Amino acid sequence: KERALWQPGHARAEAILGYFWGESFSGTFGMATARISAYLPPDIDPTKAALAFGRRALPKLKEELQCPELLTQQRALMALCDLLHDPEKAYEAVALGFLDSLKTLLVHQDQTVRQKTTEALSVMALHSVGREGLIRSGVISALAGLLDDPVDICRKNTHQVFNMLAKLPEGAGGVLRAGLIPPLVLKLKTELDEIQELILDTLSNCLRVEVSEALAAGALTVLKEKLSHPSAAIRNKAAWVLLEISSHAEGKVAVCEEGAIPALVRLLEDTEPEVQVNSAGALMFAIVTPQGRTSAMAAEAIPPLLALVAEETSKARLNAIKALTLLAELPEGRSTLLEHRDTFQRCLHDPSEAVQRAAEIAIAVIDWKPFCSRDLS
Amino acid sequence: MVPARAPELTAPADLPYSFCSQPRSLSSRPKYRKQSNAAETEKVPLHRCNIMIDPRVVRGNVLCVRHPPESTEPSTREVKRQRRAQKQGLARKLTQEQIRTGTPEPVEGRQHVSVQTELYLEEISDRVIEVDGECQTDEFLDRPPTPLFIPAKTGKDVATQIEEGELFDFDIEVKPILEVLVGKTVEQALLEVMEEEELAQLWSHQRAFAELRNAEFAELQRLEEQDRRIREEKERRRLEHLEKLHKQKETAEKIAARAFAQRYLADLIPSVFNNLHDSGFFYDPIERDIETEFLPWLMSEVEETLQKKVLGRMMLDSLIRTVVEKRLDEFSHPPPPDQTETPAEEPRTTDAAPQVSDEADAADQPVEEEETDQPVEEEETDQPVDEE
Repeated sequence: KERALWQPGHARAEAILGYFWGESFSGTFGMATARISAYLPPDIDPTKAALAFGRRALPKLKEELQCPELLTQQRALMALCDLLHDPEKAYEAVALGFLDSLKTLLVHQDQTVRQKTTEALSVMALHSVGREGLIRSGVISALAGLLDDPVDICRKNTHQVFNMLAKLPEGAGGVLRAGLIPPLVLKLKTELDEIQELILDTLSNCLRVEVSEALAAGALTVLKEKLSHPSAAIRNKAAWVLLEISSHAEGKVAVCEEGAIPALVRLLEDTEPEVQVNSAGALMFAIVTPQGRTSAMAAEAIPPLLALVAEETSKARLNAIKALTLLAELPEGRSTLLEHRDTFQRCLHDPSEAVQRAAEIAIAVIDWKPFCSRDLS
Repeated sequence: MVPARAPELTAPADLPYSFCSQPRSLSSRPKYRKQSNAAETEKVPLHRCNIMIDPRVVRGNVLCVRHPPESTEPSTREVKRQRRAQKQGLARKLTQEQIRTGTPEPVEGRQHVSVQTELYLEEISDRVIEVDGECQTDEFLDRPPTPLFIPAKTGKDVATQIEEGELFDFDIEVKPILEVLVGKTVEQALLEVMEEEELAQLWSHQRAFAELRNAEFAELQRLEEQDRRIREEKERRRLEHLEKLHKQKETAEKIAARAFAQRYLADLIPSVFNNLHDSGFFYDPIERDIETEFLPWLMSEVEETLQKKVLGRMMLDSLIRTVVEKRLDEFSHPPPPDQTETPAEEPRTTDAAPQVSDEADAADQPVEEEETDQPVEEEETDQPVDEE
């Protein structure tokens, strides 16, 4: 590919070549000749701009980014994307104010420019300095306009940026403040699968902070559908989002009203262990309310949860024990669990400390007997 | 991706290399440096030097000693003096050399011979062999290329050639180079892989922490819920208890009030009956009947009878009065001519008189007891009955 682009038909280039040819001496064979090859060196990428040496690399790229010519901008962006993997260069880029120039390029008409700009932003978001810089310079609101971009890869990179940013508490706050939750929930219904995974990740981190906007946008209906999606990753992440929603009080009520608890109980028997973990976690939060508990008992949640606890290597043990503790506070739950008390006894010797503690608490709750009301006051 | 374009005249930045400036011929340097003005330096230098008459180019015999051309620096007095001194010293050296011998005398049996050490030896003689020759190229013939001057070789040629394996052992020497090359490549690759792995590690760390945090949070919420339930239950029971106390108090009051009322009203009935009895509500009907009807009637009858008696007495009184008055009149007045009218008047007057007298009696006795009215009325009712 690189060789095809070299065009030796150029007059001046031929003159240079001929000059060097005349100067060559035929030494003994076996030693390298001083003839200059007609081909370019193999690692020069003509699609990338030439980088200046050392400290000048990034300032020169910045000037090239603002050049009105399209090709220069594209080549500068390609070189930038490769440079930004280095943390030092990323720091320098933030300090030089690259984020503002990239922000203006986000609304360019050419799709390659947009794609490369979003890729550069997503690479920058992989670094901590980059994330802080992105939050400070308000790139989030600028990226909000790209949610409807016709090109798939632009949207994917945009969602990757949001995903990376939302893993920070300040980033999650920024995404919430930019009012991105309702559009994201809407996109969840229509987007491609891998972008849906990114959206679900972003939502899970943002909804840990605040949940009212998502509930108003009707997130629960969408999430309930996703619980029965064929892809395991999407089921997993949807269960995680439900977990985060039900850790809030209004979320718990909404989850119970939506009737998501029977769906979650069905997911407890899923083939993927990750899905089991997350659905057990979502249940553990959702059944704190009395209505949640009754609906869980109605959906017969105890047998699958006990199966998860009994499995020695399951990662869902901790969540399942917590969920069973909640169910043991109901009288009918307690009576059922009294028969399975030895399962919890076995968990007391678990290698994980958290599981041991949870098993102790569960046994204490199961053994609790009602006492006189006089003792309460 | 990059659109193919025609190569431009100016060399693009990624060609191997090119001269920065175009080749140009030099100008002659004047002996004295002029004061450089901006205007003058912009002008094209007027005198380009001809390479044939440039004193800096060496011409002629290259084997004789030649001094460098005069320098173009402004020759000051000290420089001139220095040059003169140099020349004098040189002349002195030459004369002294002719007196002194250069090299020491040779050892016995030997003699010094001057030898040429160049690759190609040349015969040196005092007189230079000069041969004049002339040639003229044909006008239309191109000058053939000058043949390469290779003087005849005398002496022995010695050559040397480095065979493979003599300078260095490739396999051993290439190792560090390869190590650096491969190492750098691998390092770069590892950096890129590590970047992703680092992130994956961070996320898995975060996930583990998030799981623990969620478990603790769930426990917290469970305890909160439990606490809330217990508090609500306590509150409800407390309210119930208050309710109970309140009701108890009310009932006690009710009982007390009922007992008091009972006791208060215990002798209500007898007293009521007594009062009623005293006020005459319980009566014997016959007795009442007798009292209300019979006795009044009796009394009225008695009164009537008495009245009649009184009436009779009054009538008698009135009769007596009239008679007396009449007699008085008669005795005082002469007797009226018409005595027949008097008997007619008399019944009339007698009719009117008792009525008049009754009326007069009624008028005279208005303050009298009501019973007199009754008997009067009864008399009135009785009288027409009587009269009829």
